[in-house]
Amino acid sequence: MTSLQRPDNLLLSAWLDDELDPVNHAAVDAWLREHPEDAALTRLWAADRETLRARFDAVLDEPIPPALLQTVQGHSREPAGAATGIGASPTPGSAARTTARTTDQTTAQTGARPFTQASPAAAGNTTGTTGWRGWRLAAAMAGLIVGGGVVGGLIGATAAARDPSILATLRLPWSGNAAFVAAANTPNWPRRAAVAHAVYAPEVRHPVEVNVAEGSAAEQRAQEQHLARWLSKRLDLPVRLYDLRPQGFELVGGRLLPDSSGPSAQLMYQNGNGQRITLYLRRPEPGTATDFRFQRDGDLNLFYWVEDGFGCALVGKLPRAQLLTLAEAVYKQAETAGLPATAPPRPGS
Amino acid sequence: MPRLRRYARSLIHDTGSADDLVQTTLERALSHWHQFDQRRDLLVWLLSIAHNAFMDQLRRDSRLSIIDPALVEAQQDALRSDPGVDVGLRIDLLAALGRLPLDQRVPLLLVSVEQLSYAECAEALGIPIGTVMSRVSRGRAAVRESLDGRSRPDGVTTLRRVS
Repeated sequence: MTSLQRPDNLLLSAWLDDELDPVNHAAVDAWLREHPEDAALTRLWAADRETLRARFDAVLDEPIPPALLQTVQGHSREPAGAATGIGASPTPGSAARTTARTTDQTTAQTGARPFTQASPAAAGNTTGTTGWRGWRLAAAMAGLIVGGGVVGGLIGATAAARDPSILATLRLPWSGNAAFVAAANTPNWPRRAAVAHAVYAPEVRHPVEVNVAEGSAAEQRAQEQHLARWLSKRLDLPVRLYDLRPQGFELVGGRLLPDSSGPSAQLMYQNGNGQRITLYLRRPEPGTATDFRFQRDGDLNLFYWVEDGFGCALVGKLPRAQLLTLAEAVYKQAETAGLPATAPPRPGS
Repeated sequence: MPRLRRYARSLIHDTGSADDLVQTTLERALSHWHQFDQRRDLLVWLLSIAHNAFMDQLRRDSRLSIIDPALVEAQQDALRSDPGVDVGLRIDLLAALGRLPLDQRVPLLLVSVEQLSYAECAEALGIPIGTVMSRVSRGRAAVRESLDGRSRPDGVTTLRRVS
């Protein structure tokens, strides 16, 4: 069936943007197959569009000027406190709204703090919608700051998915900013943990700087002590080598990594199937505290939390439930270790 | 925020002025946060604020309310001197875009660069979807005509007040 009437520019343009209903879309498809001149015109339009995207996409990778960050951070600091009070348990409806648009790259909170640690969560409910809004604001503002890197890659991926030439007639829900929403409420460092995992977990020969899985038992013990001492010293934090053997994961070793606020550490564990998880440890920015949070970054799952001046992120390709079990194990060991109440970190230096 | 910055930059090529717009947008968003309907899309909401802030700015600064050939030149110079930009990236296209009246340029940018749907674009700009559709289409055609040298050579007649 060929449409006999030439689609006007209006229709052609809407076709290019994949805004036509399937019938009209197919009609324009058919027309363009038989009218190369119009097809050439739409290709030119598409090329113009790609050029504009390419030109301005570069902005996404630019560092955000400090003045702009300050605007957001200055505002988000106070609501963030209220957020903690809510204890990560908004009404299911709100949670659904938050995540509805994030489709595959879901960043959701764990629903509730899975641990018994006393928190003002119950009292938080009385703050009602104001508190929730505050939380949303903080979440959104945190999300605003996140940009390139992994998340940028996700934006690129979804952008490609919207290319009408690839998915001509699929009416996808708008997902181009899924990553944008997904990044909400996420400080930057868990993403660095995810990136560090993505970089080192596949390494065959040098997954870690200090390997504690080689040599005799005595050598391994010596290496473990060395690793713990070394990381503790460099991070200026008491780094423990958490024991995840009850969960089937052996410590492979660790490495030191740069982070914005100084060095951070990555501990790597591996199970019998060769699956690797990494634990990212860092000294958090002064004054920040977060609940237990869950985040998904592509095929990586990630739990992170900040406790007693310790920022932890556990990253792996494991199912969420399994990763949660491991995260809980780490959390409990950190708790029972009774980490010394260190003096609050000194800013700068 | 990177996406907000991208939009601002596509609207105002000068980095400093574009970031000023982002700053204004963020401040407005933060002070009007209580008006944000959670069911709406945050980015669309922010873009809508950015658009209004941009229009306000144009109204305030009458020097900018006329699309001035000299200004377009200056923008092109700014683009050329921007080290992050491949000069091969069609300066003529950006110039053609700059010559578009704002009521076409803005929807074209939102749909092309920000990849908003027509419905989202309509929401951000507060205009009907049909209007978005026709402005995008006319903008596209005009950019092409301009690039193909079929544009009115007396470019002066395309200058117009936008406020």
